[in-house]
Amino acid sequence: MARIRFNNVEKKYANGFHAVQNLTLDIQDKEFLVLLGPSGCGKSTTLNMIAGLEDVSGGALLFDDELVNYTPPHKRDVAMVFQSYALYPHKSVFDNIAFGLQMRKVDRAEIDKRVREAAEKLEITHLLDRRPSQLSGGQRQRVALGRAMVREPSVFLMDEPLSNLDAALRISMRAEIKELHQSMQTTFVYVTHDQAEALTLADRIVVMKDGVVKQVGTPDDIYERPENTFVASFLGSPPINYIDGTLKFAGGGAQFLHEALALDLPEAITAKLSGQDGRKVRLGIRAEDVDEAAAGGPGATIHGKVNSVLPVGSDQFLGFDFYGNELFFRVGKDLAHKVGDDVSLSVDLNRLHLFDKDSGASLLW
Amino acid sequence: MTDTVNIQPGRSRLRAAFGYEERSAMIFLAPVMLVLMLVAVFPILYSLYLSFFRIKLTRPNRTPFVWLDNYTDLFGNELFWTSVARTVVFSVVSVSAIAVIALLVSLLLNQDFRFRRVLSTIILVPWAIPYVANALMWKWIYDSGYGALNGLLFQLDFISRYMVFLGDQNKTIYLIANAFVWKEVPLATILLLVSLKAIPSDLYAAARVDGATVWSRFVHVTLPAMKPGFLLVMIYETMMAIRHFDLFFILTEGGPGDASHVLSWHIYVETFRNLSFGSGAAMSYVLALVTFALSYIFIRTLGRRV
Ligand SMILES: Nc1ncnc2c1ncn2[C@@H]1O[C@H](COP(=O)(O)OP(=O)(O)OP(=O)(O)O)[C@@H](O)[C@H]1O
Ligand SMILES: [Mg+2]
Repeated sequence: MARIRFNNVEKKYANGFHAVQNLTLDIQDKEFLVLLGPSGCGKSTTLNMIAGLEDVSGGALLFDDELVNYTPPHKRDVAMVFQSYALYPHKSVFDNIAFGLQMRKVDRAEIDKRVREAAEKLEITHLLDRRPSQLSGGQRQRVALGRAMVREPSVFLMDEPLSNLDAALRISMRAEIKELHQSMQTTFVYVTHDQAEALTLADRIVVMKDGVVKQVGTPDDIYERPENTFVASFLGSPPINYIDGTLKFAGGGAQFLHEALALDLPEAITAKLSGQDGRKVRLGIRAEDVDEAAAGGPGATIHGKVNSVLPVGSDQFLGFDFYGNELFFRVGKDLAHKVGDDVSLSVDLNRLHLFDKDSGASLLW
Repeated sequence: MTDTVNIQPGRSRLRAAFGYEERSAMIFLAPVMLVLMLVAVFPILYSLYLSFFRIKLTRPNRTPFVWLDNYTDLFGNELFWTSVARTVVFSVVSVSAIAVIALLVSLLLNQDFRFRRVLSTIILVPWAIPYVANALMWKWIYDSGYGALNGLLFQLDFISRYMVFLGDQNKTIYLIANAFVWKEVPLATILLLVSLKAIPSDLYAAARVDGATVWSRFVHVTLPAMKPGFLLVMIYETMMAIRHFDLFFILTEGGPGDASHVLSWHIYVETFRNLSFGSGAAMSYVLALVTFALSYIFIRTLGRRV
């Protein structure tokens, strides 16, 4: 059982750097929470505060409604997997996994049993006598996981545990970590800057930037309903396209207007925009929300000249130069386009995003 | 046909055995190797050769070949065994003190505190002092008439009159060891500090999460990581201690009595005071072999799982 609560938590480092600002967050028991954000945004700092490796400079950190601001790491019942794995180099794999239990004076037979169980689950039984230096990156990763697993902690912390693995291994390990979460039935807090990892693993994602939380929500919320341009841009590949324009209400509906583009906004969106006539807005279109085959009406089509074609295996990305904006769209790879072609794409109007032009806050969510 | 193929059989065999790079390396290394032969290898072999003769400069014309007599005489000589015992005491005391002090100092310097840089620089000073200067300095510190140590102890009221420190048979060797330790600690500290700095901070974080106390972290993370550094310190300092000469020469000349009559001093006396070059060379050989054997043992025992 572990529910973790941040109440207005602050982190200031000794040099005065304000790494985490006014963080308020509720992590549910048995939840898989992912902290996502660019490098230096304070993800590791937040995780280290949960672990007790960094002091909390302000606010309250609670485990199951108990203040843990001043509780040392070993009394918090947390286990952690580090990006560098942090395996003890002179200890065998067995002793690496067993160390946390040995320190807690668990009896030998029990240690032996738990280590072997974990090793079996992770398929590293044959490696138990080796030293970390004799293992591959993927094997080390498993040992690090094993070390955390045998502790049977109530909170499982991971700081970019997959970032040192190659692409194929990373994807298969994602599945294993997800399985691990299901079988362990504990709270997981997972740090990554990889959006795909976050979207696959998380029950909820916390998107951070410069020490500030930009949005908290399910992967669906974060991807489909970004609350600001930062979150919208951080997820999606290629990134979301922006076009600046104005809102215009006419008749029963509303339109997005740009000098070369007029899009009729659907009912669902218009309903959220009452009183916004004439507002300067930033339109967001996700790269995959266009279709070349379907003929959109005049109020649902964007025209442009192709200035780059980037095949990416299953699909291709078309780059447009659209009145000073560089737009990228994802289209089927069977469409043969060359640089210089004029192309019309119909836009999926129901999936448009609208943000305030100045603040970047979403007008829809 | 065949006789035209092997015009220069020697050369082609050389070519076959070594690649182009090895052959050019040999050419470039040759001058250095030649110098090394002259200044190192030749004296080593020549002194081995000398150790098989009875050479006394007081009898320059009678230098009979005595085969291993110099060696067998040595092992029958009581003073030789005394000097071995003194050397063992000096080395064990010095090396243990150096290892412990260097460990503590390196742990201190690995912490973050305000005057760390200044302190690191100050601690390095003894390293920069030549052995002879160090010996002269300690001679002055231990002096019975105007020595700094006497002055200090007297003013602090620990002693009521000036003492002849180096005249005390039971203390001399330790006082000399103290001077030696003072000189050697800086280098040992640096060697240990290097291995300390190389420990990733994640390891300490992992150990903290694993529930390790400060002491367990030291035992399970710090000490194992320092093992290579320790190995180096032990080998190097043991070699330095076993062969050390300057302090004994300047402070006590082996005295009082035979209280500081160590092996290196014994060799010096035999060779340059008794002018007995043959047996001096034999002893030097024994010393060299012992040094070699000790470092081998260190590497085997300490280095096994580094
Ligand atoms: N000990 C420290 N002292 C001062 N500033 C620090 C310290 N540790 C981290 N920082 C700063 O705090 C900010 C957040 O660091 P943090 O390690 O949490 O980032 P992160 O989100 O984990 O980034 P990454 O993805 O690169 O690991 C960074 O700007 C970093 O420079
Ligand atoms: Mg980080």
